[in-house]
Amino acid sequence: MTQQQEKLSAFMDGEIEGNDIIDAIKHDEALQAKWQRYHVYRGAMRKEASVAPQLDITASVAAALENEPAIVAPKKSRWRSIPVIGNVVPFAKQSGQFAVAASVAVAVILGVQQFNQPVPTEPFETFDTIMPQGGLAPVSLEQTRALPRNDMNEMLETKRKINALIADHEQQVKLKQVKGDADEEENDTPRP
Amino acid sequence: MRCSLVIALLLSSVFMSLGAVAQEQQAISADNQAQNNHLQDATSSPSMVQPQSTYQWLTRLSDIVSKENYQLSFVQTKTGQETVPYLWRHGIDENGTELEQLNVQNGPGRELIRINNVVSVFEPDVQPYSLRLEHINGPIPTALLYHPDTLTAAYEFVAVGRARVAGRPAQQIRIVSRDNTRFSYQLWLDEATGMLLKLNMVDLQGGILEQVQVTAFAITPAPSEYFSLINPNSLPKPMAINSVQTREHSWDVGYLPIGMKEVKEDTRRLALTGQVVEHKMFSDGLVDVSVYVQPSEDAVGADLALRHELSTFLTLTVGKAQITVVGEIPLQTAKAMAASLRPSTNQVN
Repeated sequence: MTQQQEKLSAFMDGEIEGNDIIDAIKHDEALQAKWQRYHVYRGAMRKEASVAPQLDITASVAAALENEPAIVAPKKSRWRSIPVIGNVVPFAKQSGQFAVAASVAVAVILGVQQFNQPVPTEPFETFDTIMPQGGLAPVSLEQTRALPRNDMNEMLETKRKINALIADHEQQVKLKQVKGDADEEENDTPRP
Repeated sequence: MRCSLVIALLLSSVFMSLGAVAQEQQAISADNQAQNNHLQDATSSPSMVQPQSTYQWLTRLSDIVSKENYQLSFVQTKTGQETVPYLWRHGIDENGTELEQLNVQNGPGRELIRINNVVSVFEPDVQPYSLRLEHINGPIPTALLYHPDTLTAAYEFVAVGRARVAGRPAQQIRIVSRDNTRFSYQLWLDEATGMLLKLNMVDLQGGILEQVQVTAFAITPAPSEYFSLINPNSLPKPMAINSVQTREHSWDVGYLPIGMKEVKEDTRRLALTGQVVEHKMFSDGLVDVSVYVQPSEDAVGADLALRHELSTFLTLTVGKAQITVVGEIPLQTAKAMAASLRPSTNQVN
């Protein structure tokens, strides 16, 4: 077989002449297929698209589908239970929460992208961490740089403390109206 | 001018009590009717007697927001920030369960679902959780929506006149703090239904700080389909929040704007830095102000006055203590509050 292949390859390249290889191709379907494929490859490599008129994968796909166990069919009944199409209530009762959870999951992924956009989460102007002298400053400037760096740490620390207080305030505002479990009863009285 | 305001005020306080009784009767009779009649009530309301006082307008607002089935789209804009669109739904199902949803429509979103008095929060990067809350805390202050009566101590409600908002005839009401120490509000209510159409928060110079603008709303006979998709059993269980009694602080805030009351007092560690702070929170219903006291060695350092979104942030060092005031109040008010701290040992307690 490999010998045949080599012969076929050589024949295609015009290295050998021979009726025997032509006969072999005529009688061997596998070789015929190879013959075709080799031509397709060669055409593709030479960018002659027209060489592949008979590269037909539909038949093999169809065949593969034929052999596939029938997964698609039973799903049809599920499609029917989607609220838009079929009856609403049972589906909703079972998977309403799931739908919510799923939408939240999607939101999380979006969140990663969104948070990189210029939403001002920092309360104050960001401290410029790049000093004016930038990366080109010679090493001898190291000492003068040390000062602003200390300053920066202090400033970041200050900022952190400010943020901590603001964040705490905002959290307290959010939780202000939350009822504990203990005083639930008395709060159940109708509001004025 | 001043005189007429005072008279208006007196009148409105008289109407207040009358209005409350009338509204209560209305509420009772409405409850006796079938659910479906609610819509008819709302749509036929133009023929109803127009509310006479600002307080009646506000009662009508709280009636509609807590009793009707509606869906409302609005946007919120804060100065210097992007506009945030919201979707707000409310409904009462056939069992009388109150359902409410607030959804942030842009970006990763944030979804709050309320079933009676449990609010479940779904937000990015945080495990869903539930809290025991009577209302969803959205961009519109809940006290304004549901308990306008609690605001009258701190604020004056002044009818301004008619206007057109969101394509509808509206009634404009100004909400001004009685001692002019807080930001004020302008409120527009739909004439036909009483629904909130627009709410501006303005600073003392009249500049707009925050705007809530309704873009579309619909009152429907039945709750939105959306609510039938929620399975109440699969929402997270409400978190138990125990209010731990901490020892009383040795200080008091001497100056409080009119109508502002202490709502909370505790000693806590800050989540971000772990510093221990003594914290008191004050509220007049529309704004909340926190006062923190911590040892000055832990503290921010130099005295600072900053603006974060709408909040004023002010620190003041007095001896060994640093006082911080945070809240949506003008700087002058924050200063006055911070400067008025005094030891409480000789005081009322």
